[in-house]
Amino acid sequence: MASSQSNALNWFLHRITGTFLVFMLITHFWVQHYDHQVASVTHEVVTEKNEMPEYPEEAKEGVKARFGPDAEATPYQVVMQRLADPVYAFLWKGFNVLFLIVALHHGFYGLNNVMTDYIRNPMGRLIASVLSWTVALGLFIIGTYSVITAGW
Amino acid sequence: MAVDTRERPPKASSKDAATAEQESRFQRYRIRTGMFAWMMHRLTGVGLVVYLIIHIWGLTALTDPETFNALIAKYHSPIFKVGEFALLVAVAYHAMNGLRIVLIDLLGWSPKQKRLFATLGAVTLLIILVGGWPSIYALGEWLFGPGSMPSLFL
Ligand code: HEM
Ligand code: HEM
Repeated sequence: MASSQSNALNWFLHRITGTFLVFMLITHFWVQHYDHQVASVTHEVVTEKNEMPEYPEEAKEGVKARFGPDAEATPYQVVMQRLADPVYAFLWKGFNVLFLIVALHHGFYGLNNVMTDYIRNPMGRLIASVLSWTVALGLFIIGTYSVITAGW
Repeated sequence: MAVDTRERPPKASSKDAATAEQESRFQRYRIRTGMFAWMMHRLTGVGLVVYLIIHIWGLTALTDPETFNALIAKYHSPIFKVGEFALLVAVAYHAMNGLRIVLIDLLGWSPKQKRLFATLGAVTLLIILVGGWPSIYALGEWLFGPGSMPSLFL
């Protein structure tokens, strides 16, 4: 069936994408959770409705330096330090799109492996495969659109 | 793959019944650990796909500042802090076990399997502790009051 045509290549690609994901996820995790200037998630619990997380000084200064002295360090502005930067935005958007493609290929190829193990009927397999790759394609379009247009 | 593995019958010659029994028990144990590792790999893999779908869907908020602020604020609620930690555990396990598979069948590290297993196990634990500290810290500060948690390297 569709998935068995280039099985060896796909199998190999799956291992390669897995290995790439290690490095990409480390970067992603660092950027979203650790870096004091650009991390979108702070080390704080917020329970009040409409309350925003309090970002560290580095983030506040970074946002002011980029968007003017009145700019507030809201989650959006903190992330836009990277995604609306005149120079580095290209790199970050590029990284995100690459990350998106690699994660989707790895995840949905893996998902197809799992489904092939549990669905015995060839027609069922084909339907599951077509459906899942359609979802992946949809996510690729949506994800690319939101990350490219962000801040522009 | 682990499902296809069958126990080899103990060699009849040159071994008494006790050693043969021991050997087969040892093999069965190894198959069980491998099977468990594989099942967890599958479970975390599918879990991560589910997360990825929700994540990309949620990130459409990037096109609107108000919506994005609301989304990230929600990421700071207690339940999400717990979820964040669970997500890290799943990622760390899947990544390190996946790396183990790649090293064994792409680079042929099977003779070093045992040491590899132990080393990667330790690395996984380290990733969970260091990477999970922000979530644990945040939850602790919220539960026991500001200043109750050591901020360590944060
Ligand atoms: C962090 C780095 C990652 C590495 C090193 C990695 C590695 C691997 C490897 C080597 C396999 C094949 C296992 C086998 O053939 O038995 C696999 C399967 C899989 N991975 Fe990953 N992976 C990673 C991240 C991810 C992510 C982020 C997702 C989800 C989006 C994911 C979803 C899956 C799925 C669904 C499978 C199929 C499981 C199965 O067939 O039992 N992986 N991974
Ligand atoms: C709780 C942990 C996480 C947080 C807070 C988070 C946050 C974010 C944010 C804010 C973005 C927007 C782009 C940017 O800031 O550069 C993003 C993008 C992305 N994240 Fe995550 N993320 C997390 C975990 C993960 C995991 C575990 C995966 C992999 C399965 C993942 C995959 C992606 C991908 C593929 C993109 C790019 C999406 C696109 O291009 O539209 N994230 N993430």
